[in-house]
Amino acid sequence: MSNAELTAKTVFNEVRDLLEPYNPNAVDIVMDTDLAAELNVDSVAAMTLIMEIEDKFDLDIPINLLPDVNRPRDLVDAVLSQAKSQ
Amino acid sequence: MTSPTITTNSNLAFVRADFETLTEGLDYAARGSTGCNFFSSRGAFEQAVGYAQIREKAIDLAQAFDRAGFERGSRMAIVAETTPDFMYFFFACQYAGMLPVALPLSIHLSGHEEYVRNLANLIGKAGANYAVGSPELIEYVREAAPQLEMIGTPANYFALPTTGGNLRPFQKNELSYIQFSSGSTSSPRGVVISQRAITSNTRGILRNGLAATEADRAASWLPLYHDMGLVGFCLAPMMGQISIDYMATQSFARRPMVWLQIISEHGATVSFSPNFGYDLCARRGLSEKARSLDLSNWRVAGIGGEMIYPNTLNEFAKIFGQVGFSKNAFMPCYGQAETTLGTTFGPVDSGFTVEYVDREQLANSRKIVRAKVNGHTPGDDYRPFIKCGGPIPGHKIDIRDDLGSPLPEDQVGRIVVSGPSLMDGYFRDPEGTASVMEADGWMDTGDLGYMSDGQLVITGRQKDLIILNGRNIWPQDIEMAVEKIDRIRSSDVACFSVSLAGGGERMVLVVHCRVSASIERDELRKTIMAKVKKASGADCEILLVSPGTLPFTSSGKLSRAAVKSLYLNDELVDLAQPQTSFNSQPNEEPLAAMAG
Repeated sequence: MSNAELTAKTVFNEVRDLLEPYNPNAVDIVMDTDLAAELNVDSVAAMTLIMEIEDKFDLDIPINLLPDVNRPRDLVDAVLSQAKSQ
Repeated sequence: MTSPTITTNSNLAFVRADFETLTEGLDYAARGSTGCNFFSSRGAFEQAVGYAQIREKAIDLAQAFDRAGFERGSRMAIVAETTPDFMYFFFACQYAGMLPVALPLSIHLSGHEEYVRNLANLIGKAGANYAVGSPELIEYVREAAPQLEMIGTPANYFALPTTGGNLRPFQKNELSYIQFSSGSTSSPRGVVISQRAITSNTRGILRNGLAATEADRAASWLPLYHDMGLVGFCLAPMMGQISIDYMATQSFARRPMVWLQIISEHGATVSFSPNFGYDLCARRGLSEKARSLDLSNWRVAGIGGEMIYPNTLNEFAKIFGQVGFSKNAFMPCYGQAETTLGTTFGPVDSGFTVEYVDREQLANSRKIVRAKVNGHTPGDDYRPFIKCGGPIPGHKIDIRDDLGSPLPEDQVGRIVVSGPSLMDGYFRDPEGTASVMEADGWMDTGDLGYMSDGQLVITGRQKDLIILNGRNIWPQDIEMAVEKIDRIRSSDVACFSVSLAGGGERMVLVVHCRVSASIERDELRKTIMAKVKKASGADCEILLVSPGTLPFTSSGKLSRAAVKSLYLNDELVDLAQPQTSFNSQPNEEPLAAMAG
C-alpha cells in the first residue's frame, strides 16, 4: 500500500491493530476511544506507539502534535496530513 | 552547509574555555570551522551551522532587539527545541544583554492543558517579557501568556529591522541566563547563572572533567532546557570550539539506538546521559543493525542527572563492548542547575567504582561500613553506591550534619558546595534563595552523601529520605525492590512518607496496577507488602492506581513531591479499596500543585 492510497479507514485499521497491545480490558477501539482513559497508553507507551506508526507508514509525526492527540481519530489525522506533506 | 562540520580546526588554536564571557567564547569559536550538526529521528544528517553562522545570526538579532527597544536585563523565553534557532536566540540575548530562559517541550498525549499551565507558570516565574517558539509550538505560548510584549516565531523576530541597533553584550561581572531546576522535589525554580558561573563551570568541565582535546567531538540528545543539555552539550562545546552532533530529545525517546548510530557514524568522543538512557539502549540490545556500530572512539560516556545503578552500566558495557565500547569510558558525575552543571567528575579513562555498603549500619547510624569484596558481589544486605569523583578546581565539597558541623569521611550527611560555579540565587525568590545559600558562601545541595577517599558518593535526596522509627529508608531502594515484581514495570512505583497527626511518619507506596481482576489485585498487594517489609523492615500503605497516574518532571524523573501532593489532596484513587482503612489521617498541608 503506498501512502498515496491511504484513507481514514485504512489508516484507522492499522492504528487500531497497533493499539491492541495497550487494550487489556478489550474495549472496542473506535475513532473516538479515549487513549488515556480507556486504553493503557502512558507516556512511555506513547513513544513506542508513535514510533510504530511512523515505521508502519514510513513518515515522521511531529512531536508537537502530541498534546492534542486524545483519540485514534487524532492519530489518523496526523498520519494523513504527514503522508500528504512528506 | 551540506555536510557536518569538521572535528578539528586546522586554522585556529584550541582554547579550553579560557574566556570571561559567553560572547568572548563564541567570538573566538566563530573564527574556526567547527559548529553544530542536526540529525533526524532516524539519524540522517539534516543541517550544519558553524559557530561563525551562529554568531552572525545572533548578532543580527541582538541589533534588532536593541532597535526594537528591548531593554537590557529583560527576559526572553525560548521554547527549547533542538534546532539552530535555539542557538541563535540564546546567543542573541548574550549580545543584547538580555537573559534567555529555555522552556520545555511537551511530549505527552492529551497534554495540552497541562503544558499550557506549565508554560504559564515558568514564564511567570521568569518574568519573561518576550517569547519565541517554532510555528508549531508558539500557539501554546500565546495561550499561556498572552500578556507578553512580543510573542513570535523565529521568522517574526528575524523580520525586525536591525539598522542602527547596537550590541550590548553582557560583561564579565554580569548575569548570563536563567535555568529552571528540574523540580523533582519542589516546583521548578529559576536559577540565575552569571557569566562568572558559566565560564568557570565550562572551564572546569573541559579542562578537568573531560580533559578535552582538539580531537574531541560531542554528541547529544539531551534537552536544551536542562542544565546537562544546555551547559554540557551546547555551551561547553562552544567554549572549547568543539563540534557537536544533535538528535532531538523526543527522537531519542522513540529511537534510542539512533544516539549510538550517530556516535558511531560521526566519531563522537564525548556523550552523556542519565542512567535511564543507557538502560533504554541496553534493553534494545544488539540487533542485527547494531552489530555494525563502532563505539571505539567514545572515550567519555558520562552519567549524571539521577541515581546511577551499576547493573545498568554493566549491562550496557557487556552488550556494546562487542562493538568497541570501553567500560573505562564511563564517567559518573554530580552536579545540579544551582552549580551551573557539574561539581564533581569521576577520573578520566577509569570507568566507575562501586562500593557495597552495609544497609543496617546505613539505616541506623548513617555510617558507611563496606562489604569485603572477594571477587563476588555481596548479597542483599549491602547496597551498591557509585563514586562520583572529586570537585573541579576552585570548588569545595563538605559533608555536614543537620546542625552544620562538618562530618568525617564515611559518614552520611548533607552535601554542601562552594565555588565560582554557584548560582547567584533563584530569580525573584529571596526566600527560596535563603533556604539553600548559607551565609559563609556554601550552598546546600539538598542531597545526602558521603566522601570516600576524596570522592563524593550520593545516597539520595534529603527531601525524599524517609525516617521511620529512627531508621533511614531510601525511597529508591523500596521502589527498585517493588519494580522487580512480575507485572510491575520500572517507573511504576513512587515511595514517600507523610507525617501523622499523632506524630511519627507513615510510608506510602503508590503503584501502577496492570491487573484488573480483584483477586489478582489482592495477590499483588500482598506481594508488594512482602517486598517492602523485606526491603525496609517497615509497614506501608499501598495504593494501586491506574497506569499513567504518576507524575514525572520534564526530564523524566519521577516527582515524588508531586505524587505526595496528589495523595495529600485526596486525588489518588485506589483501584481496589476506594476507602482508606487507616484511622489516623496525615496532618500535612497539601502542597501546591507541582508543575514540571
